[in-house]
Amino acid sequence: MSNKVLIVDDATFMRMMIKNIISKEGFEVVGEAENGKQAVELYFETKPDLVTMDITMPEMDGIEAVKAIISKEPEAKIIMCSAMGQQSMVMEAIQAGAKDFIVKPFQPDRVIQALTKVLGR
Amino acid sequence: MSESKELSPVRIDALREIGNIGMGNALTALSQLVNKKINMTVPETRFYPFEEVITRVGGQEELVACVSLRVLGDVQGTAMFVFDEPSTYTLVDLLMGLPEGTTTELDEMGQSAVQKVGNVLTGSFASAISTMSQLKLISTVPVFAFDMLGAVLPSVMIASGRIEDKVLVIENSIFQSNKEVSGHFFFFAAPEDLNKLLDSLGIS
Repeated sequence: MSNKVLIVDDATFMRMMIKNIISKEGFEVVGEAENGKQAVELYFETKPDLVTMDITMPEMDGIEAVKAIISKEPEAKIIMCSAMGQQSMVMEAIQAGAKDFIVKPFQPDRVIQALTKVLGR
Repeated sequence: MSESKELSPVRIDALREIGNIGMGNALTALSQLVNKKINMTVPETRFYPFEEVITRVGGQEELVACVSLRVLGDVQGTAMFVFDEPSTYTLVDLLMGLPEGTTTELDEMGQSAVQKVGNVLTGSFASAISTMSQLKLISTVPVFAFDMLGAVLPSVMIASGRIEDKVLVIENSIFQSNKEVSGHFFFFAAPEDLNKLLDSLGIS
């Protein structure tokens, strides 16, 4: 059974890149959001098994979106995927409820490894 | 970078994201340097005609700190980072841990601090491109200048061996608590190099 993934990133290009990487490994992309606000809406609409979440986005940033999702769905599996790899930022994301943190630019293997681990596939 | 009309929105978006990643990585290094959390705004990316680039940052006579480097290898181009005068001083205060408003001129120590930041920023941009595209890129030693914009910009372009009609500009601001430093990132490359880069990223 394929796992449903919601991709959140303000760059179309980055969403496409993540989509290509994970589709090859049998994950099913059920939605794409380009800001945090849309991510929260789509999360409850599509009920994905996992979310990849960018941080720097317009409207609502990724950390706020994680907080909004986790407050209603504490078991949500969210992996941050951002170029902002500062320790304080990683800590903030993990404290907000994110399960892992991928620093951009990434290698495809790193993405698959994170998804597999978090989903326990 | 000319022929911007050939660039589709997806291609512009990809360049913006590369700039964003380079910037984010650079801030990671920067935050380790000053041991503080640094945030940034969502970057604005657009092509501007050459003359407009100058008014975008300030004006011909605006004093700016500029770090530029040449990218050689599979793709060639010039990456340049510019801070206006007030942002340069704020940046020095930030890096040195001084109260805001302390720095009012650029001494040798301040210059080396700003240069360091510029090196990290431009270098991160180049390495982000390289990692994502799998292209082999060699970046040259960054060059620093603190001069009038009207003098800095043309000399960087001339050194890069070409004058483009249009330049890719990535604008954003970085924040440390309530202090704001606004920076402009420029990338000049020939259309064929730009297309090669985007092709290697798998964007048609």
